[in-house]
Amino acid sequence: MNTTYLPSDFLPIVVQLGLALAFIVGTMIVTHLIGPSRKSSLKDDPFECGIEVKGNARTPISVKYFLVAILFVLFDVEVIFMYPWAVNFRQLGMLGFIEMLLFMALLLAGFYYIIRKGVLKWEE
Amino acid sequence: MNPTLSIFYFLSFLTVLSALMVVFSRSPIHSVLYLILTFFCLTGHYILLNAQFLAAVNIIVYAGAIMVLFLFVIMFLNMKKEDEEAKTNLTKIAAMIVAGTLFVILFGAYRKSIIGAYNPYEYNSQVGMVESLGAVLFRDYLLPFELASVLFLIAMTGAVMLGRREVGERHF
Amino acid sequence: MYPIILLSVLGIVVLFLGFMKSKNILLPATLLFLALALGSNFIDWNQGPLLYFYGMFSVTNLTLAFNAIVLISAFLIVAMTRGFQDDEEAQPAEYYGIMLFSLVGAIMIIGYEHLIIFFVGIEILSVAMYILTGSDKRNLRSNEASLKYFLMGAFATGIMLFGIALLYGATGAFSLTGIRGFVSTAAGAQSYILYAGLLLLLIGMLFKVSAAPFHFWTPDVYDGAPSIFTTFMSTIVKTAGFAAIFRLLSHSFAGIYDFWYITLAVITVLTLFVGNVVAVYQDSFKRMMAYSSISHAGYLLIALTALTAQTERSILFYSMAYSVATISAFGVLMLIAKEKSLDGRPNESYDAFNGLAKQNPLLAFVLTVSMLSLAGIPLTAGFWGKFFVFSSAADRGLIWMLVVAVLMSAVGIYYYFRVVIASYMKEGNTGKIRVAPFYQIVLVAATVITILFGLAPGFFEQLL
Repeated sequence: MNTTYLPSDFLPIVVQLGLALAFIVGTMIVTHLIGPSRKSSLKDDPFECGIEVKGNARTPISVKYFLVAILFVLFDVEVIFMYPWAVNFRQLGMLGFIEMLLFMALLLAGFYYIIRKGVLKWEE
Repeated sequence: MNPTLSIFYFLSFLTVLSALMVVFSRSPIHSVLYLILTFFCLTGHYILLNAQFLAAVNIIVYAGAIMVLFLFVIMFLNMKKEDEEAKTNLTKIAAMIVAGTLFVILFGAYRKSIIGAYNPYEYNSQVGMVESLGAVLFRDYLLPFELASVLFLIAMTGAVMLGRREVGERHF
Repeated sequence: MYPIILLSVLGIVVLFLGFMKSKNILLPATLLFLALALGSNFIDWNQGPLLYFYGMFSVTNLTLAFNAIVLISAFLIVAMTRGFQDDEEAQPAEYYGIMLFSLVGAIMIIGYEHLIIFFVGIEILSVAMYILTGSDKRNLRSNEASLKYFLMGAFATGIMLFGIALLYGATGAFSLTGIRGFVSTAAGAQSYILYAGLLLLLIGMLFKVSAAPFHFWTPDVYDGAPSIFTTFMSTIVKTAGFAAIFRLLSHSFAGIYDFWYITLAVITVLTLFVGNVVAVYQDSFKRMMAYSSISHAGYLLIALTALTAQTERSILFYSMAYSVATISAFGVLMLIAKEKSLDGRPNESYDAFNGLAKQNPLLAFVLTVSMLSLAGIPLTAGFWGKFFVFSSAADRGLIWMLVVAVLMSAVGIYYYFRVVIASYMKEGNTGKIRVAPFYQIVLVAATVITILFGLAPGFFEQLL
């Protein structure tokens, strides 16, 4: 098995990325060139199928979405810590297991707190 | 010039350019999009440094999760009115002088110091891999790691405390 | 070390106690937990310098003494909250929980041996303060203060982190010992990247203790935050912050004293000047206290700039005297502001204190003692705090700085005495002000500490 990794291993990904970008940019240019361009007030409407546009898209939204998003970020970062732990699980042994258990216990206490507070209840 | 160096210069150019665009764009949404581009360029730098785990984390956490939060904040703002922000010329000039001084100082400090070189025979190219990171994180850096959970707990409590709707408050 | 572990766990316990029907248990539980933490703090007393967790965290008698000041201040402040019973919208479990967690951060930055610990600690402390500042959700000024503090604080943290990164780039070490090792070499003394990193790190740290010219957030934030959390900020954050700066400068950068002392001297004089002179023009007592906290940061900076063998003790004594006096001053302010509230908002102007001596002589006495201590009048702890600070500056030969500091103390007497004059000389309404017995005990305890250490500062030396 290959045990040394170098930046050059990412070459296929770079090629893939370049191809994807080239495809998107290429199709956009080509559709602009070959498609007909007609402009009217109806054509420029966000919904072209008869629903009238009301108000502005930039209205304030409920803070509930933000709470869910910010809690997601916190637990996302928590999970990130588990990758290096999982890779070294065997070397770290029992001590590493207890360390992670402590970390998880603190955060799960927070999770329990969030649920008890009813933050994740959507309809209230 | 070897390919790594030219990739490095290209990436650095792109990073600085997109970072500048974050500052100069008029629309906050554009700023956020340029910020995402900046983060992707930084990921490229991490890969060049052979820090693959950091590169992945940078995409998942920063370009993914944090940028969603930025967009949320922008959606909370009332952007119907095109307000020209109240900045006088005096503030602009003062900010330019301060930033310029900092730049000159840092540039001068960089020019005058001797940056330590590395020894290619002793250098371990795998130092940025996730295995070595985990080995250090869960032994030497045990205390900061555990206490990071206290930081998360504070953030959680604060978000719940400040963001929770009280009974009878309207929600849109 | 032990208080960190205890407080992290007990903070969660307090959060969960909030789910119980009765909120009355929260205050005694929090006080008990703080007392436990204070007791556990002294397990390591006289055990000599100890290093915990692979050289991450260090414990000496000095850091333990700083921990004790922080914990005792927290105890007094929590005792003054009276369980937030007056406020129906308050969420006491969250407030107490966050306060306990923030003490974890404070203790971390008092005893850090590694810059990562310092960074995590200062983040814990700052995030807790951003939240507590904005805890009065329905009050626009509190919201504004919180947002201002958060944006500026986040920026300062960024600068600090950049400084830490540059320090690592220059020295290849995060630990204070490693950095000291590099600084003592010939290459280290000439490394400009190191200088730049130190400056940026210092800017971030000085922002947190509100030294001029990084003080612009202080008046608005102290004014907008609920008074109880203003007390918390102006005592605990300041004490821990100065302990952290002292640790950095004395442990790692004593070798390049000639480089950073000029910068610090300029900042010191500027802080003294801005804090004291602007405080004169304030009409609100709370805002005056904000500027007064800037000026006290200036006095503490004198001790840091001097950096003699006596510095650690003078910083310790000064922050103790300052914390206790500030707590009792804010304690009186909170009572008066609530008693004389205008349109449902607490009245925090000087006028609120008119005729206080007739309304409640005890409160007037407590206020007078704390003002005397803050102004540095003899027979109070504040006098000896200033005395120790000034004498360490004299040892270093910083006479010009002493002249500025003495002049500024004279200015300080003017604005501290304004409120004393208001409470004794001016006429107010004649209604009596009643004080809850428990609250009274806290105020009297703080006053007794101030007078006790004012009469016998040597007693404090013997405690160490």
